Amino acid sequence: MSTEVRPRRAAKATLAPPVERPTPRPPEPDSPPKPSKTFAKRPFLLDFFPLESADQTRLHRFYERLRAGRLSTTRCPRDGELLWPPRTACPKCHQEELEWVDLPETGHVYAFSAVLAGAPLGMEDEVPFAVGLVDLDGVPLRLFGRIEGRPWAELRIGQPVRAESYDIGDGRVFYRFRTVG
Amino acid sequence: MTGRAVAIVGGVTTKFGVRPATWAELAQEVGAALFRSVPELRTEDVDSLFVGAAEPERFAFQSHVAPFAAEQMGLRPYRILQRTELACASGQSAIRSAYAAIASGLSDVAVAVGIEKMNIPSMAEANSAMGCVMDRAWDGPHGATAPPFFAMVAQRHMLEHGTTEEQLAAVSEKNHRFANTNPTAHFHEKTFPRDKLLRLPIIAPPLRLGDCSSMTDGAAAVVLTSEERARSYTDTPAWVRGSGQYSDFHNLANAGSLTEWSGLTRAAREALGRAGIGVGDLDLAEVHDCFSISEIVEYEALGLCPPGEGGKFAADGRGDLGGDLVVNPRGGLLGCGHPLGATGIAQAVEVFQQFSSTVPAARQVPDPEWALVHNLSGSANVHSVMVYQRGGAA
Repeated sequence: MSTEVRPRRAAKATLAPPVERPTPRPPEPDSPPKPSKTFAKRPFLLDFFPLESADQTRLHRFYERLRAGRLSTTRCPRDGELLWPPRTACPKCHQEELEWVDLPETGHVYAFSAVLAGAPLGMEDEVPFAVGLVDLDGVPLRLFGRIEGRPWAELRIGQPVRAESYDIGDGRVFYRFRTVG
Repeated sequence: MTGRAVAIVGGVTTKFGVRPATWAELAQEVGAALFRSVPELRTEDVDSLFVGAAEPERFAFQSHVAPFAAEQMGLRPYRILQRTELACASGQSAIRSAYAAIASGLSDVAVAVGIEKMNIPSMAEANSAMGCVMDRAWDGPHGATAPPFFAMVAQRHMLEHGTTEEQLAAVSEKNHRFANTNPTAHFHEKTFPRDKLLRLPIIAPPLRLGDCSSMTDGAAAVVLTSEERARSYTDTPAWVRGSGQYSDFHNLANAGSLTEWSGLTRAAREALGRAGIGVGDLDLAEVHDCFSISEIVEYEALGLCPPGEGGKFAADGRGDLGGDLVVNPRGGLLGCGHPLGATGIAQAVEVFQQFSSTVPAARQVPDPEWALVHNLSGSANVHSVMVYQRGGAA
């Protein structure tokens, strides 16, 4: 059985420093969005990486900002609450006019484990890999993600990490964490 | 109680394991076994069918499984026919739906069946199926499946409460030992003493192979009916006395505390409150030990012991025969395997058989009156609880 292996390229961009200011919500395009240039090369129903383009998701700005090295999410201007994952409607007040804000790039590991067996399709060759929950510095968000940079057996709770974006190999990007120090 | 009293009046479980059988064949097998097991039940009695199936699209490439299962089982439902999907709790959802239908008077006799086929040629494909139970776009790309999540629960429980690998092994040893009394269990013939469990390979640190339930094929079915008809099928009905569910997150980022499953506390309070009993009244509990750590956290969330003392509860044998109550006498998910949709039904079958004293003596709970069944689903972000009472009057 042939499986496509996701390239494990080095980080394309280091994320920008934390920015507390809200960014105005860009207007939605009026004209029909352009067809996706980043169509999944793997079978769509077995590929966890989302379709990121404007013709597929209203959250395309997350991926555009990530490609530019900025980890961001949405915030409800009425509640002021940071929402993760990014959303198109506030779960509390159901406001749909949410704003994009940059997130801190640094954080500390709250809990971690590793996948030593039983990886999903396309990730078998990456075993073993570490995953964890990371408390971002200065904001009340705890993000789940891959942790690169150190073997799982050398990780500790409290380990400082830094978020980075990476190219998954077909034009799409995603985020992960890398150990610091 | 709300509406009519409802009881389980019969139930069966197929052999769980790596089965050389398709989804459809498991449905036929459980249907045939059900009608053999409840000879008074005629196919035309069954007005409704609820099919608990978590991922037939993934594992069997089959949708529209409710009529598909009905045909395999020889049923022609004429009131309610539907599939219930709640990942690992899909089976209990089928029972809860049948209960609601009968209590309300919409149905008189319903079958709740759970079927899952999980062993397919590519285990990586099967693991992808397990991964999409999570938030696929945000958790999935990192490689999130159940083992690393529950491993983080274990890691935090060890950090916060000093829980040990030996205490995890105590849960697994108990449930595998009970599975040795259960011929339908995936690991019926395998023994797992604690020292062996502690030497098994690590799957997701700190969890070892014996701390994890397995990918298993299997099916189970129960018949439910109302107080008016229960006695025509059995002398030992298992009455549904309470039901509760709670869910407050889905994405792993929003899990909050990994070690306090307040959703289970709330669901159990709702179910026990409706039954009018306390947790101390329970004689047995079938809880969702998808991982050994799960059962430890569940002891605490159910209020069987104070927070943080679940590991000691396990090591002291308080969930074993002769303990405070018997937890997972069927063998649990650890011993029986975890065919997602079938698990919740198989737990209810165990309750019915415990109440009717038809389980092997080695796991028979002495004179049980009250039982609780718990399923979690996903990343313990949903908790589903039902409470049953033995025999007697409606």
